[in-house]
Amino acid sequence: MNTELKLQALLDGALDAREIREIEAILAQDIQSAALMQELKWMKAAVAGNEAEVKLPETREFYWSKIERGIAAEAKQAAAAPAERAWWLRFIYPATGLAAMVAVMFVVSGGRTTDGADTESVPEDVNAISFRSEAEAMSVVYVADENGTFNPVGQETKNEPEADK
Amino acid sequence: MPQPPDFTTTLDVQLVASSQAGDMIAFEELVARHRDKIYARAFSMMRNEEDAIDLSQEAWVKAWQRLKQFQGDSSFATWMTRIVINLCLDQLRRQKRTRAESIEQLDEELGGVERQMPVVASNPTEGLERAELRKRIDKAMTQLSYEHRTVLILHEFEEMEYKQIAKVMNCSIGTVMSRLFYARRRLASLLQSLKKEQQS
Repeated sequence: MNTELKLQALLDGALDAREIREIEAILAQDIQSAALMQELKWMKAAVAGNEAEVKLPETREFYWSKIERGIAAEAKQAAAAPAERAWWLRFIYPATGLAAMVAVMFVVSGGRTTDGADTESVPEDVNAISFRSEAEAMSVVYVADENGTFNPVGQETKNEPEADK
Repeated sequence: MPQPPDFTTTLDVQLVASSQAGDMIAFEELVARHRDKIYARAFSMMRNEEDAIDLSQEAWVKAWQRLKQFQGDSSFATWMTRIVINLCLDQLRRQKRTRAESIEQLDEELGGVERQMPVVASNPTEGLERAELRKRIDKAMTQLSYEHRTVLILHEFEEMEYKQIAKVMNCSIGTVMSRLFYARRRLASLLQSLKKEQQS
């Protein structure tokens, strides 16, 4: 900080004790600094408490009416914001549900293929297996009992024309 | 027909509490009480009546939205004044970006101009009536750049410390000190010129 800014800081009470001693020593010796300090003091004294008095050139009612409209507009905007944000959610939620349903069906079907081959899903860490025969158009789910023996608990057969049975 | 409530003996803190609970009539009373001060601060910074009205009204709308954040650490008037000061500074920064800098402003930013100004040897405000003094100070302040005027306003009228001004104006304490120094020196020079004009 240069001497001029230190003079100002002294005037504004922003110096510590050591800095005050230093700048006072300069003021005692340097006429230019003392003259500058005097000018700064005059300005501080002149400005403080002498702000021009300004009155709002509008009536209370007129001034308030615009504020009231502003508040209402902001409230309306805030209320509209969630609705605007939600338009895409209308599509996201069904899409997510559909994806979840497809995933569940895929898992239940054991990831079967459509090339006509029979498939069997036997995960190592579960006690249920499913069997799917494309040729028979049939799915069978086996659930293991407490002895680890697998028993069929249900089967699904695709509706076929009477003539094929 | 219901009578409008009489708030003459109601304190600001009570009106603020009611406003925070959603009472817009109480808030309107706060606006009525402090509108001149808030407008005056906006006008002193913007030096334009229309801008000052718009920004002061915007400040009130913002205040309503942020009322819940007011904890009473300062007076309501001080809190409101900070809001309008911030709005004015934002607006002034936007305006500055769109207008060309004058050579004088560039010199001020670079520093050194204040050192070339001769020191005023006699008090340029001595013997002035208060009304006349206020008028001259106001006139001189219109000739300062917004950065210098704002620093002077915040320090002398809002009684803010260097550190607080630096935070509000988003600059260093050194810049605040430099701007304040220049503002005071330029003000002295302008007031001296006004005195000479009056005498001649």
